[in-house]
Amino acid sequence: MGGIPCGTVFAMTSDMKRPLLVASVLALTATASSADAARTLTEYRYFRALSVDLAGRLPSRAELAAFEKPEFDVDKWIDAQLVGKAYADRLRRAYMDLLRLDIGNTFAFRPATTVLRRQTILGPDGKKIYVYYRNGQRRSREATDGVFCLTKAEVGVAWTTAGVAFGDLKAVDAAVLAANTVTVKPWWLGAESWLAPEMLTDADGTTKTTEVRVCKEEASTASTGTVFWTGRKAPVAGAPIPYDRVQALPLDDGYANTNKGKTVACDHATAVTHTTDCGCGPSLERCMPAAGNNVEPVAFTLPSGSMLGIERPTSTEKTTQSAWDRLWWGQEAVRYLEWLARDDRDFREVLTGKSTLVNGPLVQFYKHQAPASCCGNGWYFGYDKPEGLVDSSKLPALAPTDAANWKLTDRGPNASGILTMPVFLTKYGTRRGRAHVLYNVFQCRQFVAEDVKLEPSTEPDLTKRPGCSTCHATLEPMSAYFARVLESDWTWLPPALFPANSDKCKSDPLKMSGACKSFYDPSFTSTSKSLLRGAYSSAANADAGPSGLASKIATSPEFSSCVVSNVSASFLGRPLGTDDAEMRARLEKTFVDGGYKLRALVKALVHEAAYRTANNLKSDAWRETEGK
Amino acid sequence: MFTKRPQLALLALLVGCARDPSATEAASEPQPTVPSSSASDLPGHGSLAQDNTPKEGPRLLPAEVYIQAYLDIFGGLSPMAAELASRGKEGSALFDAWRDYTASLGMPDYEKDIARNGQTNAMMLATFERVGIALCDRAAERELDTTPRPALDKRTVFAFEPTPAAPTEAEFATRFDVMHRIFIGYPAAMAETPRSKRFFDLYTSTVAKHSAKGAPASGLSPQSAGWAAVCYGLVRHPEFHTY
Repeated sequence: MGGIPCGTVFAMTSDMKRPLLVASVLALTATASSADAARTLTEYRYFRALSVDLAGRLPSRAELAAFEKPEFDVDKWIDAQLVGKAYADRLRRAYMDLLRLDIGNTFAFRPATTVLRRQTILGPDGKKIYVYYRNGQRRSREATDGVFCLTKAEVGVAWTTAGVAFGDLKAVDAAVLAANTVTVKPWWLGAESWLAPEMLTDADGTTKTTEVRVCKEEASTASTGTVFWTGRKAPVAGAPIPYDRVQALPLDDGYANTNKGKTVACDHATAVTHTTDCGCGPSLERCMPAAGNNVEPVAFTLPSGSMLGIERPTSTEKTTQSAWDRLWWGQEAVRYLEWLARDDRDFREVLTGKSTLVNGPLVQFYKHQAPASCCGNGWYFGYDKPEGLVDSSKLPALAPTDAANWKLTDRGPNASGILTMPVFLTKYGTRRGRAHVLYNVFQCRQFVAEDVKLEPSTEPDLTKRPGCSTCHATLEPMSAYFARVLESDWTWLPPALFPANSDKCKSDPLKMSGACKSFYDPSFTSTSKSLLRGAYSSAANADAGPSGLASKIATSPEFSSCVVSNVSASFLGRPLGTDDAEMRARLEKTFVDGGYKLRALVKALVHEAAYRTANNLKSDAWRETEGK
Repeated sequence: MFTKRPQLALLALLVGCARDPSATEAASEPQPTVPSSSASDLPGHGSLAQDNTPKEGPRLLPAEVYIQAYLDIFGGLSPMAAELASRGKEGSALFDAWRDYTASLGMPDYEKDIARNGQTNAMMLATFERVGIALCDRAAERELDTTPRPALDKRTVFAFEPTPAAPTEAEFATRFDVMHRIFIGYPAAMAETPRSKRFFDLYTSTVAKHSAKGAPASGLSPQSAGWAAVCYGLVRHPEFHTY
């Protein structure tokens, strides 16, 4: 083809000080010159496309030189790439583009029960010191029950839950400080490179932090606690708040009244808010740090541009503790999709898989933080200890700071591919949102409204309401599969405690209790029935849970053709059309016959003429007058 | 049948125009105002959306691959190290920060639900130009204007020895081919157009401008500026950004 002999480039060098080096480069490229004629422009472009899609980069000079040799085997090269990380990245990108499983700061998971906020007070010597505490921490000392562990009389200031201070700081008495606080070496100091600068030094701003001072109740390492009951009466209206507090004393709620003295495990929110002896555990591992006492203080320095992987960010930024959770939730989905591709798993596992990959931060989250969103007034139904979407007993032993170590783990029976991952359940917070995105991405179908008048209606059943039923007749039964996972949350509602039709809650809907309204839908409640929220269209689907929907989608005829469409569109840079019907059928057969493995699909795809010639336009095709 | 049509139409018109006595009665009574609307009355709901996606032609390099190519050509640095190196001593004069470019390079933002951009636009082309020029200038400084020059296998853009004097067209062509393979992925002589000749013209005119009396001061020697201009041409070439 008249290609310029590569070797001549280097033969002309005037730099004679490096003869050995020049000779080696010559050796690398000279053999190519004899083979140039064997490669066509189409082949060069095909090789470049393969490199972009399967190696994630442009071909290097050495690879081009090798490609130009007559013995170069493109198929062998493709096979080698199909087991590489870049290939897994490529497939992950195809599905992340569709699912967008990353969450911004509009969703902040910062339960009071797991966030250790930081107050600045004056130590006995009059110098500033930090003391960590939890909002709402129950304490046997009445003056500090539910608030910071030192009173206004002791430190000069009282704070609101949002961190607004009332008063002027004064030096705390050494004995008072010792009686109410302890020092601990917290887990987060083992993750220095992830911490915000504010977390690295003591209150003087210069001394490197080696341990932190924390209220003594929060420092408790007990694994069980006793339900705390005060017998406190509601204050008389207008009576001043005692102890110069800015928040009223906490009162016993229904759970405390009915479970007084009961022993409870310290691994969930109900225990934390009802005991004085459930602390943050060894090294404060059950809690997350925060460098301040406002609503959401900074805590970490995290990658903010991680499209090339969090190990190679394009930028980093100082951010909050909830961003730490969001980062790892997103990474769980990233690693899971990459694992499916890299290990060439049956791709139906994207929906149905019981496994996941976790690192230290995710183990910490699943063990200690995820239960913090449970159970609210679920105790009314006997639900005071959450049944997780992940079986925490199966989680590997990884330290919270071990972010680089990812382990495959079995999540247990309630898990189902990406459907039960926190990032999916919070990104798509509603039952309908969750069903909708799955319908789009794994069935390649859209909900298209019919052209009808939208009449006002009081019909609560959207599968029947005119103008809504076209879409909702399909959407409602699909969304019912998520009826047992709370919206914008991952709390699982077990059928034994939350039957799809509750006898406990059936009543006049206007007289439903607050607890019933939290879980059961007043629109589908009467004196004869009360239906779990989201379950009205199909109690069977609600009981089948997300794994029921996963199974239904994965076994549907649309699933395999949709995977072929999505992967092909990603590689071809355009959606498949009617002209591609034969290729689509071939690829689908390859995919299904191969056991739903992506590797076979991609290998077949990159050999298709549509892919090989996708870039076979002349360079001036998109320039009318100037072909440069 | 055809002859009956005007008669039927007239009949239909008459029926349509006839007054309905019950309608008059009904009109005199207060009617509930029920807001209702046909979906086709709503803006954008009158017809199916048009599919404007391209059906053929080269694909835009994924932004991740573009950045990876940039990093590889820059010498295998990490993104943040390459950002520092691209800025050089001039701060943000040539290169700001990746975070300023990722969106305009077409990178999706999953947090904000911003989809990947699969087609070029003016902002994207401007970004290609800006980051490309930073790449070329820094490479020229590092690989051509440094004494001693890095070893040949350490040079990532100008992986050849420049001629001591002004190169002939043939001498230029052999060196240009090295760069063409790096950026475009095939020998320059295979291009449908006389690409080497056109870039030689670009090179010679740039060297002449930089060598002219009263030319603005430049951080690069005239010959290096000429090679940098060749690099600008390749790093902005549509065949570099597509595949």
